[in-house]
Amino acid sequence: MEQRWANTSRLTINEKQFIEEALRSEIRVDGRRLYDYRRLTIKFGREDGSSEVQLGETHVMAFVTGQLMQPYRDRPNEGTLAIFTEFSPMADPSFEPGRPGEAAIELGRVIDRGLRESRAVDMESLCVVAGKSVWAIRVDLHIIDNGGNLIDAANIAALAALSTFRRPECSVGGDDNQEIIVHDPEVRDPIPLTIHHFPIAVTFAFFQEGNTLVIDPHYKEEAVSGVRMTVTVNSNGDVCTIQKAGGEGILSGDVMRCLRIASLKASEMTTKIKEAVETYNAEVALKKVKRHPSLIAKKITVPDVEMKEASFQKTKELSADMENSPNQTSTSLTTTKDRDTNASIGRPLNWDPYSSSAPAIVSSSTLPELVGTSKDANEDQMMQTDEEYDPNLKKDQIASATGVSSGIHKQNSPPKSLKDAVKPKHKRKKNAERGAR
Amino acid sequence: MDVDTGNMTQTNLVDKVVVPGDVVLDLTKMENQTIKLGSGLRQDCDYISVMQAGKLRLSKPNKYWVESSQKRYVPRLEDTVLGIVVEHRSDNFLVDIKAPNLAFLPVLAFEGGTRRNIPKFETGTLIYARVVKANGIMNPELSCTDASGKAAEFGQLKNGYMFETSTGLARMLLSSPTCPVLEALGNKISFETAVGLNGRVWVNASSPDDVILVSNAIMRSEFLSGTQQRIMAEKLLERLQKS
Repeated sequence: MEQRWANTSRLTINEKQFIEEALRSEIRVDGRRLYDYRRLTIKFGREDGSSEVQLGETHVMAFVTGQLMQPYRDRPNEGTLAIFTEFSPMADPSFEPGRPGEAAIELGRVIDRGLRESRAVDMESLCVVAGKSVWAIRVDLHIIDNGGNLIDAANIAALAALSTFRRPECSVGGDDNQEIIVHDPEVRDPIPLTIHHFPIAVTFAFFQEGNTLVIDPHYKEEAVSGVRMTVTVNSNGDVCTIQKAGGEGILSGDVMRCLRIASLKASEMTTKIKEAVETYNAEVALKKVKRHPSLIAKKITVPDVEMKEASFQKTKELSADMENSPNQTSTSLTTTKDRDTNASIGRPLNWDPYSSSAPAIVSSSTLPELVGTSKDANEDQMMQTDEEYDPNLKKDQIASATGVSSGIHKQNSPPKSLKDAVKPKHKRKKNAERGAR
Repeated sequence: MDVDTGNMTQTNLVDKVVVPGDVVLDLTKMENQTIKLGSGLRQDCDYISVMQAGKLRLSKPNKYWVESSQKRYVPRLEDTVLGIVVEHRSDNFLVDIKAPNLAFLPVLAFEGGTRRNIPKFETGTLIYARVVKANGIMNPELSCTDASGKAAEFGQLKNGYMFETSTGLARMLLSSPTCPVLEALGNKISFETAVGLNGRVWVNASSPDDVILVSNAIMRSEFLSGTQQRIMAEKLLERLQKS
């Protein structure tokens, strides 16, 4: 028993008294004002639908996955959304592995009410065959570090993950027109979820019998506070849920005040989340586009894996300007051009975007997708690059690609002699013309 | 035989970061010398190798040790620590000092302590104490007197604010000459601190503003160099117009 005692985090009398005394002068222990949030960082993982949110010291990860399942009998044409929480024991000494405790269940319920019951995610678009097959979306929230205010952070993580989640496109077909074909993400672009609004959870902690309230309490303030209330509002001012936990009562006037403050905070937070999601989508789209010239440039360095990494890093650093980036990707790569140019020519030659099968290229190419879905590009930059590529792709992909790369080599003269730069260009052009015909 | 560049009579890894497995000294290459090994180093037949990641330090002529920083504390004899009282048993208080076990503080281990005047510490009291017994397995024991039995500032700390840091930062705050951040802050604000080698720091000042300023400055100074600490402290003071 002593062993367990040794592991829980403790609060001293000094801290309790000090936090309350400081709040009487409207200052908080980490220097924030009463209604300030801590620093928020939203990051995304490599897969669609995974996000990592850091709110001060609190660290939460969210993963969204989807599966085809039978719908509930009373809602045959709606998909389902379920939230699962996992309080990792490394987040807090008081979290135990195994069955979720009260706090875990409360967090799951508040986020569930905010997302599902407020109809933030459109369920009817998740239906594939009414009554038989719908998409069941599952959101897993992992608490990595408990620095206080888990509900807000987990909510933001869930929203960010849902915004970047893509489900495979599926269509009904087959012999009896009842078979559901789930299309490979390489063949058809996966589809994002339709999110109508962003319910943002704002947590308040009350001190000194409701005289002082703070937003985004950190774990020491949470331990000292008497009452905690979470309101979930969206930027339109709709109240999605209210959850009040713990001890003393709050005056109804205070509740209304909290709702008003929360709706202000909600609009700020919504903007932040949307910006982060858009930046991430732009990066992803950029990666897809840049793979086209780097298919050629890709072969220039020796190991494929390294090349991919280098080109991805380059794409991150570069602006979306099509001209600059291909040049820079190739200038960053040292050359064994002669050896590889033939091989690289071989690749595009074998590739026919109009064939039904997916092209057998190591870097899972999305070029066929580009042809089909260039109109779906997310960002303006994407649109420009797509349009530039699109006519070329439809007619004479290889010529255009090699034309671009020959441009690359022209400007790559500094490291090598002009002769070396010129040679591969000629080779490639000849092959390209041959291949194009 | 894998002999690195570190194996000379005088190791050139002093004041550098070492990781477990690094060989620091090759005893076969040294003549009859006495070497004193501190924490984090181990003798492996003919080699002295590192057991804990950290910075290797040398105190001339022959004392070597590794300075590392953790969030948890391993109790050592004669360390001064800040503990939180968890429970009051009949003959000792159970005190949490961020160690693997709770520490015992005998109820009589105070200056002039008798059965009649046992101090009343409730759960959550902050205590400044000294470690008098520390084995690996048993619960460590504390005392609120110094070696001669006087109080010497040990005992309960009242008011102020306590926060937790790593053991490395605590050691830096206690180093002499005075740690730069404390010096820079002390020029403008008057405050008192108690630093526990177990990674707990208590700060007290006349107004809550000052306490918060000092505690945040200390928390931010862990990975800064001396000049950086001074600059950071001065910027903070300027921002809050304490000049």
